[in-house]
Amino acid sequence: MPGGRRSGGAHGARSGAAPGDTAVATLPVALDAMGGDKAPAEIVEGARRAADEGVSVVLVGRPDDLGDTAGLGVVPASEVIEMHEDPAQGVRRKKDSSLVRCAELVRDGAASAMVSAGNTGATMASALLRMGRLPNVVRPCIATPLPRLGREPAVLVDAGANAECTSAMLVQFAQMGAAFASARYGVADPSVALLSIGEEPTKGNSLVKETHAALADGAGVRFSGNVEGRDLLPSAADVVVTDGFTGNVTLKALEGSLRFIVETLFTVFGTDEGTRAASEVLLPHLLPIAAQLDPENTGGAMLLGVDGVCVISHGSSSATAIRNAVHVAHELVVADLVGRLAAAVARTATAPAAV
Amino acid sequence: MPAETHTEQAPLDRQQVFELIRDQLADILETDPSRISEGSSFSEDLDADSLALIELVEALEEELGERTVGFRIDDEDLEDLRTVRDAVDYVVAKLGAG
Repeated sequence: MPGGRRSGGAHGARSGAAPGDTAVATLPVALDAMGGDKAPAEIVEGARRAADEGVSVVLVGRPDDLGDTAGLGVVPASEVIEMHEDPAQGVRRKKDSSLVRCAELVRDGAASAMVSAGNTGATMASALLRMGRLPNVVRPCIATPLPRLGREPAVLVDAGANAECTSAMLVQFAQMGAAFASARYGVADPSVALLSIGEEPTKGNSLVKETHAALADGAGVRFSGNVEGRDLLPSAADVVVTDGFTGNVTLKALEGSLRFIVETLFTVFGTDEGTRAASEVLLPHLLPIAAQLDPENTGGAMLLGVDGVCVISHGSSSATAIRNAVHVAHELVVADLVGRLAAAVARTATAPAAV
Repeated sequence: MPAETHTEQAPLDRQQVFELIRDQLADILETDPSRISEGSSFSEDLDADSLALIELVEALEEELGERTVGFRIDDEDLEDLRTVRDAVDYVVAKLGAG
């Protein structure tokens, strides 16, 4: 069997299936019950809520550690890949870990998707090594939402999977990011921008310039040009493409900035009687906006390019975040995300070189 | 591969081992097999990172496990495999010893 390709994956098992194949959609979402700072209690609670709302979930982990699972199915897994462990070595050495078992359930057609709030690198490695890469994909990438108040979020890709990238990889990230934006947010023809240090095509490092040329030359996406970091919130483009190192730095800078603003606001509100009175007027208007910015409500990040739906939740995910992530995983199965990704990359596949 | 389902197959010669590794690597790295020679360095010539190497190892174990029950590449040996030739030599030795 070719390395990285698995014919028994969720997509492979559904080869020839129409988008939104109801048979696959009825399979449970495999949830890593042992991953995350608040595992297993918050994970189990999140699963219970999602199940109560109609999404089938199976918990994967050590049965004795899970407590009352409210009748949810449990797939035993005796090992846990810890947050500090090397991802690839962890997957290799802990073959009975909850993460590896989740990915295998999807690969073997026993689950429709996987969700984990555990070790992000190990989640990616599990998905990559067990589900396999989609045909023509050089490297999977991570897509995360960029908030745009009052409308669907934009998508940042790659948010941290690949520190070193080639232009061929960034072009594929653009293609997969656009397919994801369509599947997740219903955007008909997503616009794609390239993160750079200036709007002009001549701006940026060699990787950015080379990628700009490739995207402008026709890569099957609606390329809108370069975008600078200051214009990410809100983003005019539906998809913003960058390498994983820059993407991760950008994402965390944005998260930190937003948290700073919120904390500053609350500090100001508590200053005196006048500001407290003002806060009573403002908070009902601000809280819904804060909810849109809250990572707990976004449904997590998505690994694009593997042969199955894989949601990566934040390590500090509460039951609410887990519940949302499970829902998003299910929705993306129904929307045939994997089929759309495969088609997006295949349309312009010219066997891009890895170097 | 369970011993009871193992079927006896002709042993692979060195060239066949090289072709197996080359083809798996080409698939993993999305590159043309003609770019991969025995002298190719994983990191310098092929830009293969540690994850790509583990993909290769897992693929080889799956493929060769059907020929040799219990075929496994030891994790401790991975860091010594710097070139395609190193990998070919290693696998040939493992198959011969198995």
